[in-house]
Amino acid sequence: MISFTSDQRYIVTGASSGIGESVALLLNELGAAVIGIGRSRERLDGMKAKAKYPENVFLEQKDLTEDIEGLPAYVKALKDKYGKFQGMALCAGIGRTAPLNAFDLSEARKIFDIDYFAPLMMTKGFADRRVNTGRGAAIVAISSIAGISCEKGLVTYGGAKAALSASLKAASREVGTQGIRINCISPSFINTPMTQSTPNEELLEKASKEYLFGFGTVSDAANMIIFLLSDKSKWITGQNYILDCGTY
Amino acid sequence: MTNEEFLTEMLDVLQTEEQLSMDTVLDDLDEWDSLSVMATMAFLEKSFGIKTTMKDYKEMKTIGDIAKKAGL
Repeated sequence: MISFTSDQRYIVTGASSGIGESVALLLNELGAAVIGIGRSRERLDGMKAKAKYPENVFLEQKDLTEDIEGLPAYVKALKDKYGKFQGMALCAGIGRTAPLNAFDLSEARKIFDIDYFAPLMMTKGFADRRVNTGRGAAIVAISSIAGISCEKGLVTYGGAKAALSASLKAASREVGTQGIRINCISPSFINTPMTQSTPNEELLEKASKEYLFGFGTVSDAANMIIFLLSDKSKWITGQNYILDCGTY
Repeated sequence: MTNEEFLTEMLDVLQTEEQLSMDTVLDDLDEWDSLSVMATMAFLEKSFGIKTTMKDYKEMKTIGDIAKKAGL
């Protein structure tokens, strides 16, 4: 049984909806303190309203792409405010469907900002010895099946997610000496506000026919993230787990 | 860069909560490992335009020795 204590503090990005919200609520239910970061104060409040122990949910309204360079200092400031962190779930992200013939460099850079540079700079901030609790601390990032086996139309998104899991593999080796673990999950299609807002009918139709157990739910991803944040996975680092009911 | 500014920068480079002085012995710092050496190499190159190699750090004993290498 996985459980946490309220002096174990976890940062969750993208905490106001989808997988991030589910991770934040589950961490809280299992006893941890959660610092939920999201763009919308209103939606963050909505998450907190669903929490089992709202007194252990702390909200930080922030657009992580506003000042990517400043993110390590931001994480350090959060540590000064709340104390050292036991873990971090990097769930903020954006999906975008655009094939090569519609590839737009400035649009692609925006996607890389959100899906690659921001989580990497958050990781840099967290990995600072003065910010985390040391041995036993863990980071989990949401990559994507698109970073491994990419469908049509996901040129940029797949590239950003592949870059993220590759960089975090290197980072896991670097911070391993401090006892910090870093893992990724790579889900295929999961029903979230993000995936619903980026219609890719062709992919949806293919998925609805091929997925053995149907589309994933946010809790399918959240359960794996919680396991990877907890000490039940203390021998696991540098991995990227595919969650796709065996499809790819 | 003044000596004081250099020491402040080194706090971030080494990610240490210790007090640093020019006399701080590198081997006395838990944080002084191969990654810290790489971070210091990057810092000297970025802030001072000085390229160093791993070998240089074998000869350095204190924070002051790094400052000297940086030309302070």
